[in-house]
Amino acid sequence: MNICSVVVRARPENLAAVQTNLERLPGVEVHGGSEEGKLIVTVEDTGDSTMSDTVARFNDVDGVINAVMIYHYGGDEDMDEEVISETK
Amino acid sequence: MPDSGIKDDRIKAVNRRQFLGNLLKTACGVGLMGAGLGLYSQKASSLPAAAIRPPGALPEEDFLGTCIRCGLCVHDCPFDILELGKPGDEVPAGTPYFTARTGPCEMCEDIPCVLACPTNALDHSLTDINESRMGLAVLVDQETCIAFLGLRCEVCFNVCPLRGKAISLEYQHNKRSGKHALFIPVVHSSACTGCGLCERACILEEAAVKVFPMHLAKGELGRHYRLGWDEKEKAGGALVTPDLPHQYNLPEGVRYDLQGRGLILEDAKEETPFSSNPLETLNKGLRGD
Amino acid sequence: MKLSRREFIKTQAVAAAAATAGVTLPAAKVLAASEAGDAGIRWDKIPCRFCGTGCSVLAGVKDGKMVANQGDPDAPVNRGLNCIKGYFLTKIMYGKDRLTKPLLRKKNGKYDKNGDFEEVSWDEAFDVMAEKWKAALKEKGPSGVGMFGSGQWTVWEGYAASKFIKAGLRSNNLDPNARHCMASAVGAFMRAFGIDEPMGCYDDLEHADAFVLWGANMAEMHPILWSRLTDTRLTKPGCEVHVLSTYEHRCFELADNGMVFTPQTDLAILNYIANYIIQNKAYNKDFVEKHVQFTKTATDIGYGLRPEDPREKAAKNAGKGKLTKISFEEYAKSVAPYTLEKASKMSGVPKAKLEKLAKVYADPNKKVSSFWTMGFNQHTRGVWVNGLCYNVHLLMGKISEPGNSPFSLTGQPSACGTAREVGTFSHRLPADLVVKKKAHRDFSEKIWQLPEGTINPKPGYHAVLMMRMLKDAKMNCYWQQCNNNMQAAANTNEEPFPGWRDPRNFIAVSDPYPTVSAMAADLILPTAMWAEKEGAYGNAERRTQFWRQQVKAPGESTSDLWQTMEFSKRFKVEEVWPEELLAKKPEYRGKTVYEILFENGVVNKFPKQTVTDSDGNAYENDEMDHFGYYVQKGLFEEYASFGRGHAHDLADFDAYHKTRGLRWPVVDGKETLWRFREGYDPYVKKTNPKVAKGEVFFYGKKGNEGRANIIFAPYEPPAESPDKEYDLWLCTGRVLEHWHSGSMTQRVPELHRAVPDAVVFMHKKDAKKRRLRSGQMARLQTRRGELVARVETRGRNRMPEGLIFIPWFDASRLVNKLTLDATDPLSKETDYKKCAVKVRKA
Repeated sequence: MNICSVVVRARPENLAAVQTNLERLPGVEVHGGSEEGKLIVTVEDTGDSTMSDTVARFNDVDGVINAVMIYHYGGDEDMDEEVISETK
Repeated sequence: MPDSGIKDDRIKAVNRRQFLGNLLKTACGVGLMGAGLGLYSQKASSLPAAAIRPPGALPEEDFLGTCIRCGLCVHDCPFDILELGKPGDEVPAGTPYFTARTGPCEMCEDIPCVLACPTNALDHSLTDINESRMGLAVLVDQETCIAFLGLRCEVCFNVCPLRGKAISLEYQHNKRSGKHALFIPVVHSSACTGCGLCERACILEEAAVKVFPMHLAKGELGRHYRLGWDEKEKAGGALVTPDLPHQYNLPEGVRYDLQGRGLILEDAKEETPFSSNPLETLNKGLRGD
Repeated sequence: MKLSRREFIKTQAVAAAAATAGVTLPAAKVLAASEAGDAGIRWDKIPCRFCGTGCSVLAGVKDGKMVANQGDPDAPVNRGLNCIKGYFLTKIMYGKDRLTKPLLRKKNGKYDKNGDFEEVSWDEAFDVMAEKWKAALKEKGPSGVGMFGSGQWTVWEGYAASKFIKAGLRSNNLDPNARHCMASAVGAFMRAFGIDEPMGCYDDLEHADAFVLWGANMAEMHPILWSRLTDTRLTKPGCEVHVLSTYEHRCFELADNGMVFTPQTDLAILNYIANYIIQNKAYNKDFVEKHVQFTKTATDIGYGLRPEDPREKAAKNAGKGKLTKISFEEYAKSVAPYTLEKASKMSGVPKAKLEKLAKVYADPNKKVSSFWTMGFNQHTRGVWVNGLCYNVHLLMGKISEPGNSPFSLTGQPSACGTAREVGTFSHRLPADLVVKKKAHRDFSEKIWQLPEGTINPKPGYHAVLMMRMLKDAKMNCYWQQCNNNMQAAANTNEEPFPGWRDPRNFIAVSDPYPTVSAMAADLILPTAMWAEKEGAYGNAERRTQFWRQQVKAPGESTSDLWQTMEFSKRFKVEEVWPEELLAKKPEYRGKTVYEILFENGVVNKFPKQTVTDSDGNAYENDEMDHFGYYVQKGLFEEYASFGRGHAHDLADFDAYHKTRGLRWPVVDGKETLWRFREGYDPYVKKTNPKVAKGEVFFYGKKGNEGRANIIFAPYEPPAESPDKEYDLWLCTGRVLEHWHSGSMTQRVPELHRAVPDAVVFMHKKDAKKRRLRSGQMARLQTRRGELVARVETRGRNRMPEGLIFIPWFDASRLVNKLTLDATDPLSKETDYKKCAVKVRKA
């Protein structure tokens, strides 16, 4: 299972549209952003598309200037297991 | 009591720091992943930050041109810390490097790796290991370094082979506790060899002190600027116009210390032959001197 | 709050991206993970289980496991800070090789000295052990068995052991590891003041104008106190720090006057200071006239070696501590030969430095606090040298007031609270009482409800003597708790080891981990650690601190307290007491030792209850569950009755659970900060109603008119000095990162990584002479043993030429194979700081 977070830069005036378009891609969630045009996005593998394929399609989304991957998780563990006790 | 509120904030703050510390770890691993995914079109021209060249290595470009990938330095390292880049690694294949966190340079006095180098890629003019500059230790995270929190650790300082020179401790007053001192480790590039012993020894889950290749680690002061106090010390006195002795109009009981504390108000005590502490008087007794 | 791994990873990923991009997200989202992590953690106060500083920490427990800790911000000692060992407290209990079942050496299903360890039940373990103990008692009497305890025992563990051995078995063969650590300090306190433990407290650290460290590497061994001292040095104008040691250690970094002296010449330096004070008429005449009496001690007293050793045979007054009264003039004459020239020549310290030091003591306007630890105590003239420091303070009257303090620091968390105050030494009883004195025995027997004559008037075997008696098979059973004496005792190969492995002897070791001692034992009892039991410790400033049981011990582990009490059930009183004693208390016939000692109506007075904190959280108490009454409370209250009204007053049991400790004597709920001075110490007025305001009265010695003893003692050479063959001094000690034998701290991976091995610190020139370089392996050899270690010519300790230092935490390098078991003949404490060694390339 791959999960990553990406900082997407877009023109501030297009921000809302970019967010909508990104969220149409499989496994993508937008968590917020800033007015200067940054979006904090997570992407995960889905049945249709691997995370890396999805991220690669970011550049085709209108209004996206660039996308920089920040954090990547690529473990095999069970994603639905409750883990909060491990987080001390 | 307002105390409890403060306490809670503090606990949270610590956890936030721990939390960011964890992230940093994962975030480091990500850079490599990113390259594989093709997000970064150009391959980094420099070494990854965690790969440090052996002592005496020429500047990276010259080193790559001179190193014949013979592996003799790796073979002669008595502590087996050196590795050769493998195909697919970010380190150019066949060239030697070490990773400070897992295997730092032990700074052998006879520098066997340099002696072993047949091409001078590891510069044979390096004969004093203390003169080597493999990289530079940087205290990357003051928020998690427990010395900055007032805890007594100082492991990096203690293991430093040039202890006191490459890493020194700066004592500061701990404003929070009010009665303890902070023992702040400070790295000095004038002496740090980048051996990485401090990074290995750091007791945090993710080291707060890390060795980086020099170009990543070091800032550079504007070339036009000089440090006045250094220049004065070098010159052995004021560079220009040594001041005449200053005199001041001051009321009685007040002094002025120009280079030191400034205005000094001496306690305008009522003068009596007795100390304000009766114990002093009592204990002085009838001594006749 | 619950989070799946997916949600958790996403939270982290988002936080990372937000941090990188400088974007602020709603706080809840970013913090969710960390906050959720702390949810459900129960926090409670507990003193750190390492050094004698006595920092308080908050232990975070979740799902029955200690998962977090933090410095206790409300603790007056450390105000939320910890050292690196305290930082890792959470991890010390969870080493992957915790012992969880009793282990006995067996062959063919039976105990066999040469068998391998096999898991056994507690019943079988105690059956075998009791059989061995009874046989030894039958053959040799009470001196056939012995127990070795600890300054890391809780107060009630020490007290229960003391009762069991001294009252139950009528043996005085009980000694704590504090014998290796504090015995010299105790001896000197008793000789000078007639009452144990420092008169001052840690507040001296803020009130002194000058600090003098004598053989104390506070920077590493009392890290949090050092940070207080450093802060005073930084923030108080004119504050000075003087450091004396036989090599340069971390404290020299702060020193205004650092002095490296030739081993043993501290005796000469202190006499020089006294001489300086007298020659310059700087002494406090009034104080000296009113509060001091002058004495001298017997000299040429040997080295506490075996009597057949030529050094003992040569000594005129081997083991003698007799004090003879002298006049001030005679005293002045005695110290007169210790001139500046002589002291400088003997010690190798430049004259200017010695004089600077003497001036600080002699300046009536400078408040001086002297601190010392093992450099003074582990010294064949340890009692003397402690006393010489008191001499200097007493001559100046610099004592018993804020900032003026001769301060003996303890090494262990409860060397004071347990080993000393409870009286677990082979010659002591609780509250400074001693077995030798009939009145003291009578008093103890009364509290313990024993027939007159139960307590044996003869002091038992002390720590070092126990090793000799085991080797000579005069003592056959030995039980070690909370300790690692096979690594800690001197001269391993010649004394401890042969005794432990002698088939006539049976050795039981209680430990949570497979230590060197456990490996050399016959029976290993798995033991609960610090937070796995309810406890109390007393630190170096007389502060008694309590804690509740935080978690359960793993497997079948039990506390030392449980083990001692449970084992006492194995003895019927008829098996251990003679008929004439029983005849005085016929109602004890047929009872077990356990019933007499612990079900005596006092110890079992407090019924079972739920232990709770101020937030209503409930805590377990495994001993209460097992024995059916509040064991700790009953033991503490009975123990406290020894000291209440006798200048050792402790507060009520319950009070301690509600505070970060109280400094005794606690009278009418009030702590005592400085003893022996009217206004600070209620006992001054009580013992001397006519005392003037603010006046000093040393009430410890009855019949001394409130005077303390200045005791002249000369320089005498150490037991072993370098010669042509063994040409270097060997000094052993500790490092900040590891505690004692490393059995806990070496199991914390981060601490192990920080300092994995013991290295031998030596001067570059000494290394070069032996064709050694830093980092190479060297063979260290003494007349008793050898080992191989890496040479370090750099690093935290800077050696003078002629002296090497090696820490003893490293179980793979048993440093005590090298050391000599010479002791101070008065305190019986081993000198681990001085013997002769040779070093060559390995």
